[in-house]
Amino acid sequence: MKNAPARTPEITSVLVRTIAKLLFLPILVTAVAMLIKGYAQPGDGFSAGVVGALGILLQYLAFGRRTAERLPLVGFAGKGVFAGLLIALLVAATPVFLGQPVFTHYPPAGASVIYVGTIELITALLFDTAVFLMVMGFVLGGVQMIAQTIADEDEYRGPEATGPEFDASAGTDVEPSSGGGRR
Amino acid sequence: MILAFSLAVAVVFGSGVFLVIQRDLLRVVVGIVLISNSASLFIVAAGLTRGAVPIVPLPGGDGASASDPLVQAMALTALIITSSVTALLLSLIYRLYVSHDTMDIEDISVAELREAEALERKNRPEIEENPEKGPAAEELEERSR
Amino acid sequence: MTALSAAFSLAPLLPLLVALLAAPAAMLAGTLKPRLAAPVGTAFAALAFLATAFTWYRGGGTVDLAWAPTWGMRFTIALDGLAALYALLATGIGFLVLAYSSRYLPLHLDQEGRPEAEGARFYGFMLLFMGAMVGLAMAQDLVLLFVFWDLTAVASYYLIAYDRHDPDARASALMALLVTGITAVLLLIGALTLYATYGTLSVPDLAGSVEPGVTLTVAGLLIACAALAKSAQVPFHFWLPRAMAAPTPVSAYLHSAAMVAAGVLLLGRVYPLLEKSQFLLDVLLVVGLLSISVGAILALTRDVLKQLLAYSTISQYGYVVFLYGLGGEYGAAGAAFYVVSHALAKCALFLTAGAITEETGEDRLSRLGGLTKRLPLLAVASGAAAAGLAALPFTIGFFKDELLFEAALERGGLFAALSVLGAALTIAYTWRFWGGLFLGEGRDGAGSLPAALVWPVAVLGGLVLLGGLFVEPFALLAEAAGAASYGAPTPIEPAYHLDLRPTNLMAVGAFALGIAIVASRPLWERGALAVSRFGEVLGPERLYEWGVDALNRLSDYVHRAEVRDLRSRVAAILLPAGVLVGAGILVTPTVGAYRTGEVMRGDFPLLLALVVVAVAALTTTFTRRHVTLALVLSGAGFVLALVYAFLGAPEVTLVAVLVETFLTLLFLGTSKLIPYKVLHDQAKLPLGNQWRRVFFSCLASLFAFAVAWSALSQPAAENTVAEEHVRLAPDAHAQDTVSAILADFRALDTLGEVTVVALVILGVATLLNRGRLP
Repeated sequence: MKNAPARTPEITSVLVRTIAKLLFLPILVTAVAMLIKGYAQPGDGFSAGVVGALGILLQYLAFGRRTAERLPLVGFAGKGVFAGLLIALLVAATPVFLGQPVFTHYPPAGASVIYVGTIELITALLFDTAVFLMVMGFVLGGVQMIAQTIADEDEYRGPEATGPEFDASAGTDVEPSSGGGRR
Repeated sequence: MILAFSLAVAVVFGSGVFLVIQRDLLRVVVGIVLISNSASLFIVAAGLTRGAVPIVPLPGGDGASASDPLVQAMALTALIITSSVTALLLSLIYRLYVSHDTMDIEDISVAELREAEALERKNRPEIEENPEKGPAAEELEERSR
Repeated sequence: MTALSAAFSLAPLLPLLVALLAAPAAMLAGTLKPRLAAPVGTAFAALAFLATAFTWYRGGGTVDLAWAPTWGMRFTIALDGLAALYALLATGIGFLVLAYSSRYLPLHLDQEGRPEAEGARFYGFMLLFMGAMVGLAMAQDLVLLFVFWDLTAVASYYLIAYDRHDPDARASALMALLVTGITAVLLLIGALTLYATYGTLSVPDLAGSVEPGVTLTVAGLLIACAALAKSAQVPFHFWLPRAMAAPTPVSAYLHSAAMVAAGVLLLGRVYPLLEKSQFLLDVLLVVGLLSISVGAILALTRDVLKQLLAYSTISQYGYVVFLYGLGGEYGAAGAAFYVVSHALAKCALFLTAGAITEETGEDRLSRLGGLTKRLPLLAVASGAAAAGLAALPFTIGFFKDELLFEAALERGGLFAALSVLGAALTIAYTWRFWGGLFLGEGRDGAGSLPAALVWPVAVLGGLVLLGGLFVEPFALLAEAAGAASYGAPTPIEPAYHLDLRPTNLMAVGAFALGIAIVASRPLWERGALAVSRFGEVLGPERLYEWGVDALNRLSDYVHRAEVRDLRSRVAAILLPAGVLVGAGILVTPTVGAYRTGEVMRGDFPLLLALVVVAVAALTTTFTRRHVTLALVLSGAGFVLALVYAFLGAPEVTLVAVLVETFLTLLFLGTSKLIPYKVLHDQAKLPLGNQWRRVFFSCLASLFAFAVAWSALSQPAAENTVAEEHVRLAPDAHAQDTVSAILADFRALDTLGEVTVVALVILGVATLLNRGRLP
């Protein structure tokens, strides 16, 4: 088990990487499909967001952090949360300026809907997209930050220090100085 | 079924409470997740109707009963909030670990008392320097008994 | 065409919009380039002044938008006379003060060794203050008024504590915030009391419908309390002298056109309600008189320049409150006129004090004097302002006293005598300030004050003199403001009359008495100092200190008792909940209330899944290793997802599976972050009194069981809610009802929830990534 942790990209097998590469686009397509068909079938902004994020996280597992972060738009995950919040607030607030209650969706009940293919263009879909952006940004951003912290810690401690083999002597010399609790 | 749901909710909740009152912070978070899980289970179980998936057109025609969609929506909300709060708690624990080098509540609360005392001493220099007689020392003494 | 007329009907919003935009604009400019904050802020203040003047010139107007109509709250603002007067003061004086600050602040920051970039914060909060004042002046809805009211308190807090390294400044800011913030709640309570009785929050509507009675007296007293505390009237006056810890431009603005003026602005706004009760007017009268005398006597004893001016402000606003208390048309219009003339003079005097402290480094009267030769222009300009404050002829101040005397005469001889005495005291402390600074022996040599520290004073002094010669515009404005308060035209005719009418005689009497007070200083000085000492020992400030102390002790006690330990925190939540639930179960009839529910043929897999969930949950309680714990937890979660699937909730199942995956990743990631040794030690912790914990969790479990069982046994009588949602889904162009609920029917819930998500990611970024988002 020595040197076993799957932290470095070289250790993941070719099989995993191929599968990850093959699955990448289908997962994203699934996520988008869940989002836009959420009004007809199970699935909505939440599930689509988590599915999309997990699809990207799979790339993290297979290719490592640095490669995965080079994927387009992945670096903006955290900002996506706030872009989503902005869209959601816009959808919520726009009707107020038109003299309607908050969150009035258009077109109203009974009116006909414009279709693009089989996608219904309704404002609720825009709101769902906002939720999608936020959830995806949250899941991705959360894991990214933890991964970043792990990487920083590893640099700080040296690669041998983590994992089950971490022994007592290595722990004492990196003890943070502010732990005044026992003095 | 009502009884079965209630029992399951109770067992999950009880296990959660047991973990929440542990000293180990990671266990506390696990306990909170369990309590949230019991809450979502309770919400879903409280649905007024049980039946088909609530997607129109219903398979059994207009009169057929569908599962209560409202509780499902609420449970979805609860799940997402649980996961985000858990993320926050876990990063909080990591911060605590970095600054106090421990995940034990008792160590942390003693450290907090000591810091409060130090602050007090800084603000009111007329209090004489006597680290052996403060709330933190009393607390330690109490625990050692 | 309709769009154009709609835009015109929104025109009264213009001053407010410009004033509210000023703060973000200055902040933005300041972050781009620190040097830009001052010119941008000053320009915006000038723009706001012009917008207000232009809108007022075009006839003012009202904008009434639905805000929360079901609760009777409307976004109603109007640019009536009262609003125009205070908005013009706030923006005009704001412009001058900011122009002054553009030179003063760099000097101030330089002296304290702070970076220039901190200036943006100053301009931001000054302009926020200005915007809030404009909003406060224009608001016609009591709740809207309250919002702007608190906004001024927040802005003043940051401005008073601008020198945040100074503990005294911080304590003073907290005092100002507490005194004005706590009393602000009284304003809200008063507003809600009126709403409960009369069903409206709009001041004009209330003015039409209130009747004298207990409700009006109580609500009026509450609102008056808020106003008097803001205007630093006795017994709430102690915060104002302490607030002098702020930089001088802040003090100048606070005293002349913003914070303190807000109090009398509120009085003027709700005057139509107050005047219906003679009792309320009498209260104002007494408080005004007390403030006049306390402020004046203390002003005569202070040595620090800004302290002297602070007490004189208390005294001067005492006059305004006194005028409102006198009632009648002279009262309302006179009060408005008084505010204008005082604002011009007082602002100039404050700016003078700041300039002199910059020039000489001294802030005490006893160490200053004879500055005329060094600073001739400043001496003349502030002399004009001082003359205005002291109500000498050929200044605008003369008319303020004329109006005061007229109003007092209407009420009777006693009040006339008191107002003469007050005017004499004003002359005495004004003389003390100006004479102490500029007369007497002094060093020669040209002063080196930058022009920007002098010309705003000169402009203000010029205005004071101008108002003494051409009083018409000021009188018109005050008349309009008085009409807005009084509800009827309030003609005032300030003019010079060369005859022996009573007001002229009173003015002469006041001058003579004032000179006598100045000349007889040795006679009364010890008495005044004794009053000042008495106030320090037994004044309301003591009460405040005692209250803050008691609150601190209470907070310490709660901290010790409850917050010391996470477990006591949990107990503090669970125990009361348990007691309440227990009480609820005890008082509810239970016979036949509990049902076991039937188990159908298809339910056995569901039962099995529930059993697995319960077993997994129990397993977590005795799992030691953290990684195993995380895996068991996610196992429980996945089986729970299966339960949701059996219950006909595919959406929940999907999200539960995905979320559970995410949580597992999080737990594993965290356990990787923390060294194995620490985790391992934690897993081996002594069990302590584990039986006690088992007992408590069993008890909690029992309660949860009782609650769940009793709730699940009592479904609603009809299932319409569920059916209704399914029925309505096609109207939302949806087939999946759950999606429709999330995005449409209950979208507001979803919005709240995703906001939590956004906040959490901010929190995680703060904790792990020093606030930077990935």
